[in-house]
Amino acid sequence: MVVLRDIVITGLLLGGILALVSVGFSLQYGVARVLNVSHGEFIMLGAFITFWLFTSVDLNPLVSLVVTAPLIFVIGWFLHATLFRRLMNTAPALGVFEGWSMLASFGLLYVVQNLARIIWGSQTHQVIFLNRAVTGAQIPLNRLVALGVCVVVGVVFYLFLTRTRLGKAIRASAQDPTVAGMMGVNINSVLAICFGLGLAMAGIAGSLISTVYAIQTSMGLQYTVIAMIVVILGGLGSITGAMIGGVVLGIVSQLVTHFQPTMTFIAYYVIIIILLLARPKGIMGK
Amino acid sequence: MLRVDGLSTGYGHVQVLWDLSLNVEEGEFVALIGANSAGKTTLLKTISGVMRPWSGTVTFQGKRIDTMHPNEIVDLGLSHIPESRKLFTDMSVKENLEMGAYPRRTWKDRANTMRWVFELFPRLEERKNQLARTLSGGEQQMLAMGRGLMSRPKMVLIDEPSNGLAPIVVAEVFQILKSLHAEGITILLVEQNVRQTLQVADRAYVIENGRLVLQGACSFLQANEHVKKAYLAL
Repeated sequence: MVVLRDIVITGLLLGGILALVSVGFSLQYGVARVLNVSHGEFIMLGAFITFWLFTSVDLNPLVSLVVTAPLIFVIGWFLHATLFRRLMNTAPALGVFEGWSMLASFGLLYVVQNLARIIWGSQTHQVIFLNRAVTGAQIPLNRLVALGVCVVVGVVFYLFLTRTRLGKAIRASAQDPTVAGMMGVNINSVLAICFGLGLAMAGIAGSLISTVYAIQTSMGLQYTVIAMIVVILGGLGSITGAMIGGVVLGIVSQLVTHFQPTMTFIAYYVIIIILLLARPKGIMGK
Repeated sequence: MLRVDGLSTGYGHVQVLWDLSLNVEEGEFVALIGANSAGKTTLLKTISGVMRPWSGTVTFQGKRIDTMHPNEIVDLGLSHIPESRKLFTDMSVKENLEMGAYPRRTWKDRANTMRWVFELFPRLEERKNQLARTLSGGEQQMLAMGRGLMSRPKMVLIDEPSNGLAPIVVAEVFQILKSLHAEGITILLVEQNVRQTLQVADRAYVIENGRLVLQGACSFLQANEHVKKAYLAL
């Protein structure tokens, strides 16, 4: 029982982080139509900025979220306002833009990853933070804190999407950008904000990951791959689907890892094959 | 109020509109009639900034709008109610209406505007918490019109509001158009339902293969041989 409880709790934590990563990825694809292959690199960037602030000025990793999230948001906003908007305006059709923007994001992947390698090298690091077990349980406190942050970010983002003017504009733009424009939404601005928000979520996930797992400058791509799996699992473009998919994948991953660690990635793909056979459009797909 | 001058446009290399000119005065109810794919929808899209003209100009209240983005044009008080409703189907009726009031100018006062829209369309108030896609065809058209009115427009472009509706609902839609006109809103209506359109509008333009072929008061067009034969099946 205790073992099962610990598996569920660590699974929930991983699931929370994966959900955060995937919601960000889904926001970029579902609204801005950019299949951002470099998404994971900004997780790495978030992790390393946290690590760097932690080792150089001894900044609490939770406080560093206040730095990483806005900084990476601005980077994302700027990337969209320059690079992706230009591609969007020159592409003859949406399908062409999706191809171009994916290639551009491949380029970003190498640029960001190699810049990080020049700065931080390629060895493994970890931020030692709250690394003590909670009394009576085997779960380290830092994991519970990270899970708490995921939940808070998820709830705040949900309220933002459903209660605010900009949040509603984002949902409307995801459904029909042309009509959203006719209602008065400045589409270019909303797309850049969505791209920035998506990256900021990657950055937050990265900061949390640095307190729980070992980090390397090459860590990004595996998270991008997982985000793609989660987003297909949850239904392309669906934010709720990405949340559910992330949590499901997190728990399954911990279950499998407990019994047979080498099987984790195989389990991901088995789940996705079964799901796509049963529900080709994903959990929340239409 | 609205002036279109020598407008040509199209998709890719296919030209749809050819040197088209028309104007609508403040307070007028003008209709645009013509067969399927005559270019009526394309014309409305070009006026509201969704499409760009290849040549020619569009002026609204003395201001050139043909290089503006759709969000800037709706902010000037020119609202486009698109063909086949184009609702945000995964949002509630209330949220769809709120989106209509998106310009800063109208966002703050959206609760009051919504009350006005609910007076025009009482059925929307009963359904305000339902998702837009659960509405019937007629209710969806009401919502599309209500949403288009939430930006407090001086002029509306309405594209085929009667399309796909039962005759009794069509009559209701035309009744609402009349009352909007009575409230002082200038209307440019695109319709295939020529008979009823000519009964409610002041003037009409007939568009065929992307060119204007005929224009005049509705009473004149009702008596015109070409209109009778081609559009009224008389």
